Amino acid sequence: MSENGHEHEHGHPHAEPKHETSPWAARIRAVEELLAEKGILTHEEVEAQIEYMEARSYENGARLVARAWTDPGFKELLLRDTKAACSQLGIDASGTVEFVTVENTPATHNLIVCTLCSCYPRAILGRPPDWYKSPAYRSRAVVEPRAVMREFGLEIPEDTSVSVHDSSADVRYLVLPMRPPGTEGMTEDELADLVTRDCLVGTAVPREPARV
Amino acid sequence: MTGIHDMGGRREEFGPVDKSQHELEDWERLADAVNYVLNAKGHKTTDEMRRAIESLREYREMSYYERWAAAAEALVVEKGLLTQEEIDERAAALERRWESG
Amino acid sequence: MIRPATAARFRPGDAVRVPNVEKKGHVRTPEYVKGKRGRVTGILGGFPDPESLAYGGAGLPEKPLYRVCFRQTDLWEGYAGPPGDTLHVDIYEHWLEPAIEES
Repeated sequence: MSENGHEHEHGHPHAEPKHETSPWAARIRAVEELLAEKGILTHEEVEAQIEYMEARSYENGARLVARAWTDPGFKELLLRDTKAACSQLGIDASGTVEFVTVENTPATHNLIVCTLCSCYPRAILGRPPDWYKSPAYRSRAVVEPRAVMREFGLEIPEDTSVSVHDSSADVRYLVLPMRPPGTEGMTEDELADLVTRDCLVGTAVPREPARV
Repeated sequence: MTGIHDMGGRREEFGPVDKSQHELEDWERLADAVNYVLNAKGHKTTDEMRRAIESLREYREMSYYERWAAAAEALVVEKGLLTQEEIDERAAALERRWESG
Repeated sequence: MIRPATAARFRPGDAVRVPNVEKKGHVRTPEYVKGKRGRVTGILGGFPDPESLAYGGAGLPEKPLYRVCFRQTDLWEGYAGPPGDTLHVDIYEHWLEPAIEES
């Protein structure tokens, strides 16, 4: 399920394109065709990579969080070795990129940004949202994190420190949010449903489920 | 001199965070995938890609995947995998085909 | 540590400063921490040097990569938040120098 609740079919990338708005659309296709003709890559490899990214979403992160909330041993593993924790849940985060999970506590709230480009734990969470890549977020999240979070509707109390993580190098960060009150007795799947993508970046926190 | 990409703290240049999301176009998925495949096969590195992106003269005017497409093109030419002429020619041919189609 | 590191010069708790120098090429140290003091909170391990990788080099020898914690009030004049707010940046060893401890 995609994040706004319905599936988007994406066309075959080698089908004739429709509504392609950028002059770079033709250029990257030209590059891909020529590389394939010269045997530098194959269309199948490109297709497989597209499938790989399409299969990734923040829901992987939500599963990690829900398991950490219900299993202290798993939480310890997630904080110590995020790749190993992913592997336990069948999430393929192998590869050269490293991951670190930072834990929200009553004393500290974490916020992730990449000021130099848009580094994001893509192998786990999929592609980053547009706002994460925007100059406004990249420039402001480090200097006025509380104001930025307020724009997302998140007010962090003054007695909670805000820790901003600028993923400038070889490590990608994700946030382990706090389990909200009123969730005792919920199943792991129900808990995972409380964790939105923004919770894993730190611009939101999981909310107590509404009473029915 | 701070690089164009080095945005941390430059808040006076930018306003509120726009939280709208655009639907990815197929060419953007392609730009994404071509870059990853070239990296995975050892033809270039993430840091070469970052360097190529930072060097784009139109960095601020380009969208995210336009920067990826442009950097991939610059690097395959730099590395002698393709020539600029053949890319220009093929892109023009594709444009013509799409316009007539 | 998530990867093994070669002999690391700094230890967690060490006070460090980011040299305020301009360097041509591809640098992963953000401008806003240059000339600023922080504290090492962890060693992430040894990683190939991005300044070499960016130009087709092998990035060897690997550089120790540190987590460095800065106080927000040390980074930005008039920072609008409590003094406990922090900022964490991953910095390669050649972009750090020892800082004199404040009493």
